[in-house]
Amino acid sequence: MDQLQLGNHILSSRLILGTGKFSSTRAMLDAVRASGTQLVTIALRRFNREQAEDDLFGPLSHIEGLTLMPNTSGAATAREAIRAAHISRELSGSPFIKVEIHPNPQHLMPDPIETYEACRVLVSEGFLVMPYIPADPVLAKRLEDAGCVSVMPLGSAIGSGQGLSTAAMVSIIIRESRIPVIVDAGLRSPSEACAAMEMGCEAVLVNSAVAVARDPAAMAVAFARAVEAGRQARQAGIMPKYGAAVATSPLTSFLGNP
Amino acid sequence: MPQIRIELNGRQREIPEGSTIQELLSIEGAERQQVAVVVNERIIRPDGRAACILRQDDRVELLVFAGGG
Repeated sequence: MDQLQLGNHILSSRLILGTGKFSSTRAMLDAVRASGTQLVTIALRRFNREQAEDDLFGPLSHIEGLTLMPNTSGAATAREAIRAAHISRELSGSPFIKVEIHPNPQHLMPDPIETYEACRVLVSEGFLVMPYIPADPVLAKRLEDAGCVSVMPLGSAIGSGQGLSTAAMVSIIIRESRIPVIVDAGLRSPSEACAAMEMGCEAVLVNSAVAVARDPAAMAVAFARAVEAGRQARQAGIMPKYGAAVATSPLTSFLGNP
Repeated sequence: MPQIRIELNGRQREIPEGSTIQELLSIEGAERQQVAVVVNERIIRPDGRAACILRQDDRVELLVFAGGG
């Protein structure tokens, strides 16, 4: 059976879902269930008694087979991300941490230096570390050597819906990596998720494209199917490109021709 | 009852002197859900909250999980 291995965790679904930006907790839970995902990201926030019903830990922890991956969103430095990881592990009990460090809210680009430092420390503390990174093959390799269980290069800016604008660099990361490469951020449509899988990504992480769809649960299913199709195509062997036409029907012995 | 001043999630707050973290969670309506508690940058686990008495000028963070990508 084709499975995704992240550290010592085995997943059969290759779609990782983010839980932000949904219109309601109910809509998010419906999408999570419909997608069949086994790994979802969540974020740490200060408790607000006026929004107590927004706590997601309770409802998500009741979905069978689902593992939570807290992120360190909001952290601008390695120190803040490490602190968020410690608190998140205490709260969730999950070994996973998505290291996400972006100091500039205008573009949300991940800080490679702080990310590397945070990952190095968190790996040494036993976390299963999955860093969100710029599509940089050198950084990806350094993070693999540091012991991360995957690298998650961005397809394009968070929430932008600009798709796989980093495809060329992601291809190099895939070629060079011995750990799963997961495109995270920027995907807008299932065809882009399928393309990422055809390229050789081991999984994709999607949030906004599902959360802001008119029917999030239906969109989650569409992404799940696209991810499966892309994976299957990759494994089946995609034909090479040719510079000219190559006939699929015989061109000789046709009617009056010799 | 004498009050002490603490910083709760970045805001000044007065609570009864001698309050424990468990009592603070009850005052805040946060006792029924999974909440992480950090006092002066130290994580306080659930089994230590009933015995942990808050002091003047303690910096307390109550954190929960919300949606995120």
